This record gives sequence, C-alpha cells and structure tokens, in this order.
Amino acid sequence: MNKLKSAVMYECSTKIKAIGLFYLIEYLIVALIFAIVAIFTNGKDTGSNILEISTVIFVSVIGVLGYKEDFKALIQNGYTRKYIFTATVCMFIFMCASMALIDTVIGNTIHYFNNNYFTLYGILYGYDNPFLNWLWLTVFYLSFCSLFYLAVLIINKVGKRASLFISIVLGGVIVIIIALFRFVFSSETVHNIAEFSMKAMGFMPDGTKNVLFPVISFLIAGAALEIASYTIIRRTELK
Amino acid sequence: MSTIQIKNVTKRYKDITALDNISISFEFGKIYGFLGRNGAGKSTLINIIVNRIFADQGEVLIDDIPAKENMRVQEKIFCMSATDLYDGDLKVKDHYKWTNRFYDNFDLKKAYTLSEKFNLDTNKKFKGLSKGYQSIFKLIIALSLNVPYIIFDEPVLGLDANHRELFYSLLLKEFENGKKTFIIATHLIEEVSNIIEEIVLIDEGKILLQESVESLLEKGYSVSGLAGDVDRYCENRNVIGFDELGSLKIAYVLGEKTALPQGSNLRISAMNLQKVFVKMTEKGGW
Repeated sequence: MNKLKSAVMYECSTKIKAIGLFYLIEYLIVALIFAIVAIFTNGKDTGSNILEISTVIFVSVIGVLGYKEDFKALIQNGYTRKYIFTATVCMFIFMCASMALIDTVIGNTIHYFNNNYFTLYGILYGYDNPFLNWLWLTVFYLSFCSLFYLAVLIINKVGKRASLFISIVLGGVIVIIIALFRFVFSSETVHNIAEFSMKAMGFMPDGTKNVLFPVISFLIAGAALEIASYTIIRRTELK
Repeated sequence: MSTIQIKNVTKRYKDITALDNISISFEFGKIYGFLGRNGAGKSTLINIIVNRIFADQGEVLIDDIPAKENMRVQEKIFCMSATDLYDGDLKVKDHYKWTNRFYDNFDLKKAYTLSEKFNLDTNKKFKGLSKGYQSIFKLIIALSLNVPYIIFDEPVLGLDANHRELFYSLLLKEFENGKKTFIIATHLIEEVSNIIEEIVLIDEGKILLQESVESLLEKGYSVSGLAGDVDRYCENRNVIGFDELGSLKIAYVLGEKTALPQGSNLRISAMNLQKVFVKMTEKGGW
C-alpha cells in the first residue's frame, strides 16, 4: 500500500501547481471581464458565465498528461501498469473532487452576490443543494478526465494514422445515428430514447428533477471508460 | 536462485524479429558488459527485463520471481535508461525526494554526496540540465539505490572524460562495498573492458556469446603476415574475421593458440575486446 500511496501522492502533488496556476489565471481574467462589464452595464451584467467549462478543458488536458508524463515517470521507477492505473484514477478523483469543490464554492458565492452569474449546475438543477452540486460536478469532470485518458491511450496504442481513421469512423457513426433518429426509428422509439436520456440526466417526465440520476449516469460512464482504459494500459508498452 | 533468467524470449515488431528465442542468465554479484551494435536488440531485451515492454514469447525471472507486471521485483532491479523518462519540470532534488519515497532502499544522503562530487546543481530542473548532467543525474539515482540488480543503458552518454572516470571508479567502489549485479550496455567497449567480468554479445536479436572477459581475451588473437601464409595457418581454425592491406593479411582467431611453424613469417598478437566485438558482429556469428 505504501508504494501505491507514494505513486498517488506523486501524481497529485505534480498537478497541484498546475491547478493553482489555472485558477489564478482563470480568475484574474474573469475579474478583469467582470470589472470591465460592470463599468459598462452599471453592475447589471457579469459578462461571463458557466466557468466550469474551462475546468472541463483543464481536466481533459490533465487526462491526457496523466498518461504521457506520469506513466513514463512511474514505469521508470519500477511500477506496474496496475499500480500506475490505480494511482492515476486516484489522482483523477482527487483532482476532480477538489476542483469541483472550488468551482461549487466560488460559483455559488458569485451567484449569491450577483444573480446574473449562472453556474452550469445551477442552470440545470438550481442552487438549493451545494453538496449535490459538488457531487455532480465531481463525476461530470471525472467522466471528461476518463474520456481523454482513454483517447490518449488509444492514440498511443494504435498510432496516429489508425487514430485518424477511428475518428473518421466515429464521425461517420454519429452521422448515421442522427440519420437513424430522423428517418429510420419510429417516433415512439425516438420518444422512448429521448425520455430515457432525459431521465438519465435527472429530468423526470413529470417535470421534477432527480440529481442522483445524472450522478449515477456519469459514474457508470466514467467507470466504463476507466475499464476500457485499463484493458488498454495493461498491454501498453513504453515507446 | 539469485539470477536474472531470460527464458526463450522472442520479440517481434511487425516483420522484424528484434529478439529471437533468447535464453541467458545474469548471475548475482558480477559486472556484465552487454554489448551489441545499434539495433542488435540490447535495449529491447533491457526493456523486457524491466517490464517496460512485453515479450511475445518466453519469460524473465528475477530471483525466480516473474518480472512481468510484478511489484515484488521493484525493489530488486533498477534500470538507468538512455531515454529520458523523468518529468522535466521537476527539480533534481524533488526527483531525489520522490525516488526516496518510491523505493525502500534509496540512500538520499548518498545521492546528495554524489551530486556534490559531480557538481550537479540539485536546484535545477531536469529539463534545464545539459545532456551530460541528465546522464549524471540518472547515474546518481542508480548508484544511490541499494537494489541487487542495476542495469545501465548507455550510462556515459554525453559525459566528459573526467566524469566518465569518476563514474567508473564509483561503480567499482559500489561493487566492492556491497555485492550487486551491474549490467552495462554500452558502445564504449574499451572503456568498460577493465571493469566488466563477463560479456554478453548480442547481434540481430540473437546471443552470440556469453563468456568471461578473461577467457575471451585468452583465446582471441590475431595472426598477420602474407596472405597465403595466413590462409594456410587459418585452415580448420575458428576465424572470426580478416583485414587485408595489399599482400598482407590479418586474421582474427578464437581458440587455443598453437606455436607457429619454425621459420614462419607470421606474427601472433593479442586481440582487444573491441576487436573481438567488431569482428564477431561483422561476421554475425561464428
């Protein structure tokens, strides 16, 4: 366990500086925008909303770097792929939970003082439960981390040319799915799928909202992506 | 059994066989020279031993423990690689700190002492070091780790002559202090010839020989003279190569030295390790 703890600590501590820099730069820019917009609108507008999107981009980048940098460093130090994968997942959870906490606190505080600022969670589910806000954001970030981690593992495994081919195929699949929904599936099937998707995101047919459903949905998606990542990383070789 | 055992290891990259059914062992308490030309398969085998890549067939055992994906061997083996696997943004002292956490047997104090000996600035980031100092940093990590098997892949890359000498003397001191196995993969054969006890020669993915340096040098010699005389001498002998200059010829032979016939114009000379290596890999086998 000590070995795993060291690997987790290594992965987390090498990201803390980057997270600090990210928030420093982000909120400096946001403060500047807020100030300029406040001057020109007499404080009626904020000029910026849903700052969580920039965190999504950041955690996605970390998802990529989680493989590129840490895999090399840990394999140099004799770690097995199983340990490296476990340490990376722990780091993702730590990072996403911490950033979700910061974003929840700051987002809700800004919204409290200025109703014209909206958070992503607030727009979708309201502002009445900060804990669920944090939990939802954590699993939301986690699924993006996992997605990009899987993507970089696939690219590393199959090479650039094959990755390009896969992305073209994926694009094609999306076009086919859209066509299936528009021209092939019956309206009842489309309605059922839409209803299921809405439920998965917590929007019930009776108009109520259940935040635990999207939390579970993102958890399942994240877990599926991580399982896929593990099946790849366990056969990944150093290049 | 205290050895690194490589059993029937094969590794292919598409249509290239990088390692072809290799079986060798590195015994505990020796300094090995792991030699081969570029692309011979040295790094491939090293990477398989330290679990960085996988063999298509065969297995590696370290003290009878399978090395593939096994944390139990982490405290047994370390590989100082020519490739940079360290985080370039971390300072040298931070790398020391983390290595100390990753391994139970890392001597942090020794790492700092060696840094002073090599004049390595531990406050510098890894990426800020010159190529030579990056090698020095990796050497210091390897020398400060108290694990039984240490592999050096091109250890003196970019090091000046003084630092190379310092490294070799520290390596020998380390070997005298506590028994370890050092495997040195290098192209600088003559530099390591006085240090290594045993040589493993690899070419085109196959092991050409594994023998002690002493016995190899004992049975390796060259015969020079007129081409016809040399050719006659070489009949039924294990000749690993020739050099020709006009009517003169030099034959490189492995085997028991026999006395030259009386009145012969031939001359027998000793052969150095580098010559044995060059001639054996030129021929591609014996």
